[in-house]
Amino acid sequence: MRLPGTRYQEHGWEQVRKLLGHCSLQAFRQIDLRLVLDPEQHGALLDAYTEAVAASLRAHLRTSRAEAPGNSYGDSVSELALSLLFELQAQPAFWQAFMAAMAQEHARSGAFWDNPVSDGMLRKKVNDMYVGLRDKVDADNYIVATGRDCSPNKIYTYRMLDMAYGEIARLFAAWEQHREQVGAILGRELAGLPIEVRQMKSIAGCKAEWVIRWSESLERFDGAPGPLHTRSKRFASLKNSPEKIAAMLTEIGAYEELSANLDSGEGWEGDAGEAALWLEDYWRVIGESEQQEHAPDVVDQILQAQEDAFADVLAGEPSDAAGPVELAASAAQLAKEQASAAALSLSPRYLELARAAQDAGSWTLRMLHAESLPIRLAVYHKLLGPADDSYPDAWLDPATGELPSLQQLAALDGISMPTLRKRRNEAIDKLTAANRAAA
Amino acid sequence: MSNDQDKNAEAPLDARLRERLLLARAAPGDRLMLADATLLAALDGTRPLTPGERVALQQSPLTLRRFRHLALERRSQAAPAAANDPVWSGSAGMLRAAASALALEQMVTDDGCWTLHFLQADGGWQVVLALSAEAPFAARLLREQPMLRVVDGGGAIILQGRLDADGECERAWPFDGEPAAHFQLYGAGFMVEPVSA
Repeated sequence: MRLPGTRYQEHGWEQVRKLLGHCSLQAFRQIDLRLVLDPEQHGALLDAYTEAVAASLRAHLRTSRAEAPGNSYGDSVSELALSLLFELQAQPAFWQAFMAAMAQEHARSGAFWDNPVSDGMLRKKVNDMYVGLRDKVDADNYIVATGRDCSPNKIYTYRMLDMAYGEIARLFAAWEQHREQVGAILGRELAGLPIEVRQMKSIAGCKAEWVIRWSESLERFDGAPGPLHTRSKRFASLKNSPEKIAAMLTEIGAYEELSANLDSGEGWEGDAGEAALWLEDYWRVIGESEQQEHAPDVVDQILQAQEDAFADVLAGEPSDAAGPVELAASAAQLAKEQASAAALSLSPRYLELARAAQDAGSWTLRMLHAESLPIRLAVYHKLLGPADDSYPDAWLDPATGELPSLQQLAALDGISMPTLRKRRNEAIDKLTAANRAAA
Repeated sequence: MSNDQDKNAEAPLDARLRERLLLARAAPGDRLMLADATLLAALDGTRPLTPGERVALQQSPLTLRRFRHLALERRSQAAPAAANDPVWSGSAGMLRAAASALALEQMVTDDGCWTLHFLQADGGWQVVLALSAEAPFAARLLREQPMLRVVDGGGAIILQGRLDADGECERAWPFDGEPAAHFQLYGAGFMVEPVSA
């Protein structure tokens, strides 16, 4: 099923899910799952998990599963898996729910994760997390692409209707073998080839009443109730709203037709050029708004206004008064750096050259002038990933063509991994605050 | 090194990073805060965001993503039709030192895309603007035939008009002095640019 903006709703999803499950199990063998029991450590555990799964995904990059198409927009299974993995950072509720489920299981049966027999259970919990996450991410993607409201439940409903259409189409195609069931769907006795079977060419031609009758009669033919008629109330109201069903079927059909020429969907990652373009608009809009501060009272046009939620404006301006950034380094510092770089099989002058390759006028550098270079690189590593077209060559490890790993960066900085992560996260918080204040 | 030049001309790496900072942060319970109409009016400058709306936008990654979508859509619509054609916003050229010795016959823009030919006729001068077929934007300009203008180093209009099917536009030389002397008086430079409506 394709809908505006969505990435994870096509057949390739099954492979994305399996790949994430597989790589997660590998990751769990490398990280300390006992931290599950300490809510304070859940953030750190997510960081460690993300890094381990990302590494595992990279190791699987050349497998046929990873290279297979994950959707019809040209994203491979491994690309979708990696981007969904990183969505966990922006949607911490799913990680928290996963942590809670793990802790609950631990309360029941101890450190079950140490027992290989529990792999299936572990995989199931990971699966639940990503299944929920993909619908949340796609609901947001839909909103971004259309400006219309959406929710994970609505995405789930679209998918249920798409599946129902698929079933109806399958029955129509073999109507002679399913005479009675097709009759129940159409609501009349069949006398010869029903014309509807020929007329329904796509989901847009599928009638809401057929979906309702298909679901209603499913128990009679399959033994299990149809999705609109289960005892759970999930779609209970939908079966009484054929017009709602019809609109959703039409929407799926219309977009599938529109996107059938495989016009590459909106890759929201975009490129550096796009980022600069829209940010220019963003700063302008923010600036124009600030200049209007004392304009005669215009009423806020905030959707479903919740006055109090936005009353508390954010903290003060970031200190922008920093002097010129220190780009040079002392001789003693260089000697020390060269020793640690050599131990990491990077060029001994790695930090020196990487430092020189920084853009001295850079906003990021100005905001993070107090941080060490390895911390700044770790910030890029987390936000843009280990490889990005906009990185200067001097930042890359020639062996991999990517930024040094976090282990390497920690060693370059002479600090432990947890310290590096902590400082990196603090640096990102600082940037986030400064960025929002439209520095 | 300047602290204030970067807001409008972001370095690509900064732009990427700041984009991620805005869009990829966790915002529990985030939802679409502003309608398209509100965002578009702000983009068009017809109705700036109120302080409340501004904060709503700044605090909602989802709304910011919608803003990004609309901003890029708006820009791609504003750009001329065929998105693959290179955009042209003007070409500049200089009088070559050697040319001043002889009667001026032609001047070429620095990008090599335009030539100004000077023809003596009936005691006066004709000036012909010619578009090189090699210019990356040649196809678009021939198709769209925008109004063009050539100005001298002092900003005075030398020629204004649309290209013909051969990619040329011919007009009478509008000044009293002959071309070489004129350019030497006015900064020795010239500029070919589209005339915005």
